[in-house]
Amino acid sequence: RKQKDNDTASLSTPSSPDALPAAAASPRAPPARASRRVASPGPATARAAPMGRGGARDGAAAAPPWHSLPDEVLEHAFSFLPAAADRGAAAAVCHGWLGAERRSRRRLAVANCYAAAPRDAVDRFPSVRAAEVKGKPHFADFGLVPPAWGAEAAPWVAAAADGWPLLEELSFKRMVVTDECLEMIASSFRNFQVLRLVSCEGFSTAGLAAITEGCRNLRELDLQENYIEDCSSHWLSYFPESFTSLETLNFSCLEGEVNFAVLERLVSRCRNLKTLKLNNAIPLDKVASLLRKAPQLVELGTGKFSAEYHSDLFAKLEAAFAGCKSLRRLSGAWDAVPDYLPAFYCVCEGLTSLNLSYATVRGPELIKFISRCKNLQQLWVMDLIEDHGLAVVAGSCSKLQELRVFPSDPFGAGQVLLTERGLVDVSASCPMLESVLYFCGQMTNEALITIAKNRPNFTCFRLCILEPRTPDYVTRESLDAGFSAIVESCKGLRRLSVSGLLTDLVFKSIGANGNCLEMLSIAFAGNSDLGLHYILSGCKTLKKLEIRDCPFGNKPLLANAAKLETMRSLWMSSCSLTLGACRQLAEKMPRLTVEIMNDPGRTCPVESLPDDSPVETLYVYRTIAGPRSDTPDYVQIV
Amino acid sequence: MELELGLAPPNDAGSCGKRRSAEAFGVKKPTLPLFLRDDDDDGDHGNGEDDTGDARDCEISMGNKRKRLVGWPPVKSAHRPRSNSHVKVKMEGVPIGRKVDLSRHASYHQLHHTLRLMFPSTSHHGDPYAVTYEDVDGDWVLVGDVPWE
Repeated sequence: RKQKDNDTASLSTPSSPDALPAAAASPRAPPARASRRVASPGPATARAAPMGRGGARDGAAAAPPWHSLPDEVLEHAFSFLPAAADRGAAAAVCHGWLGAERRSRRRLAVANCYAAAPRDAVDRFPSVRAAEVKGKPHFADFGLVPPAWGAEAAPWVAAAADGWPLLEELSFKRMVVTDECLEMIASSFRNFQVLRLVSCEGFSTAGLAAITEGCRNLRELDLQENYIEDCSSHWLSYFPESFTSLETLNFSCLEGEVNFAVLERLVSRCRNLKTLKLNNAIPLDKVASLLRKAPQLVELGTGKFSAEYHSDLFAKLEAAFAGCKSLRRLSGAWDAVPDYLPAFYCVCEGLTSLNLSYATVRGPELIKFISRCKNLQQLWVMDLIEDHGLAVVAGSCSKLQELRVFPSDPFGAGQVLLTERGLVDVSASCPMLESVLYFCGQMTNEALITIAKNRPNFTCFRLCILEPRTPDYVTRESLDAGFSAIVESCKGLRRLSVSGLLTDLVFKSIGANGNCLEMLSIAFAGNSDLGLHYILSGCKTLKKLEIRDCPFGNKPLLANAAKLETMRSLWMSSCSLTLGACRQLAEKMPRLTVEIMNDPGRTCPVESLPDDSPVETLYVYRTIAGPRSDTPDYVQIV
Repeated sequence: MELELGLAPPNDAGSCGKRRSAEAFGVKKPTLPLFLRDDDDDGDHGNGEDDTGDARDCEISMGNKRKRLVGWPPVKSAHRPRSNSHVKVKMEGVPIGRKVDLSRHASYHQLHHTLRLMFPSTSHHGDPYAVTYEDVDGDWVLVGDVPWE
């Protein structure tokens, strides 16, 4: 690793922080050792000359064969390394490999839009065909980031339009995407095929119309959980009648109406349509009509799946679903009368993914439905399923890999629908379960220890006990022992969210045992600076750390400043930080941006505040682009 | 830690002096606290000797509801139960009204932001509009006096 860092320092081209540290952190990338020969179909001279013995290139210091491989050979070899971490490792070997790798990279993932300047990214990787850019911090999902924070997609779209004319795929997550951005995308890339917008805002149906009208080769239009202004623009009608290439259409987050006749014609002529996710404006009987036009669907999202029970509608639905032999993934806002559920019993056996997290359907009909889904790998459901429902899942869905259980009444009376029992049962009976997100009202150490013992193969464990600082409800102790058992047992754990009553001791355990941990979320936990220090001084592979409402202060932050440059970002809100420490951190670590967020509406410049001013929110991230220039008045860069 | 969520009137210029984290939203006391905890003393977060392990959080029961914390539990707005939270918004001099989903907003600030986007104005500073609502008594009241919750 040290060697790689030295190579970096001597390189003239700025290296993307994601390329190298990712490579350093990747447990999978084989270290490039000088003694390894690269097997290649290259010119005979390269193959014939063994290590260090000259041959055709006799000389004082005979270069290893892989130094003289032509670029096309290297690029071909690198085409077998799709993972960004592996490509980053290859790029760090030497100048030659760096050049070949960056010129041939086709997919670029920018996990923090402020980590690098868009122009630099485009210049460095000129052949990119697919790019993904993420913006706001994760806690923006829960309302902790006020509006107009930043993360504008426009600079990225502009740079891409300039430098990547052959771009085919663009994906934005938690960014502000305007109608102008969408218009620019539609007019800049002649072979544009895939647009994915996740948790974005700033655009309207007018922007969508630009996409549907302008992107002649569009294959995927995937809109997930965005806030879209409805201008009543008939965006769907802008697909030309000759347009047939659509494979994915997801407009589930759109609030308004769409012209159903237009939709039906579109679905009929796009024979390759595999994924169709409708919004709430499409009633049940129309869903049945669409299914008859597209029996080849692999993924279906129904709209507002609710209607009075009518036997003829039931029959219609049943017949429509019977024709869908390829259906594997199902989702929707099922406020359904449970009487409709048997209409799609026929698809249950084929389902690998079921998302009922927007569904308020409950009761024995729901459970009966799920119990028929013997091949389910992914289940997202509301806590309305209750413990006994999860017990049935445990008994029926032996192939389950991912379970998410959401709270139906997050701010409610605390009526306990779901306890630790449900999770214990599923972890005991589903041997392939590796990813869990679980909201519940109560937990015990014993349950967590049992779960840990049952499922050492967890890669993602997120437990949210609804009431902050809730102890083990039997022993009244903290849940330190339970969560420690999880990190000790699950050696491959990459993502962890903790909750309930927790002391510094649990963080000692996480720091020591979380050797693969990449993302950690902490809320209302710990007793002192030690807690944070354990995390920052341990957790060797930590990338994202987000903390709220914990008594963590300045000392561990400053003591572990260097650690922050090995991470993508750190969020700390409602902790015990002061401005002075942030200033010291910013001074010590020039390649970090230290952002402070105080109450919106205040425009007091941070320079005038004293060192002991409390800091409400700190957001720190590594960057090679320097401080951003688009901060709103409530964000100050220290 | 005492968390208070309340809004100062829009034309109130906050002072730039020292202020405690409890005043994170520019609140001048007294305001209506959303909830209180008796396990933390004001502003004393440093070592937290006697804070933790204290499960006797003082709960203000607001009817039957769990006390509201900003952003907690961590569910996306899409997953929150949707009540009929759309309200009509009309602006003086603009014939066509808009609808705003209040459940998608977590604060008055966010609401003002949305309204500014829906009814763009030429002035870019501060709050160009007075936002009012009709309360249960039929009176028109300026928004922002009562806690967002």
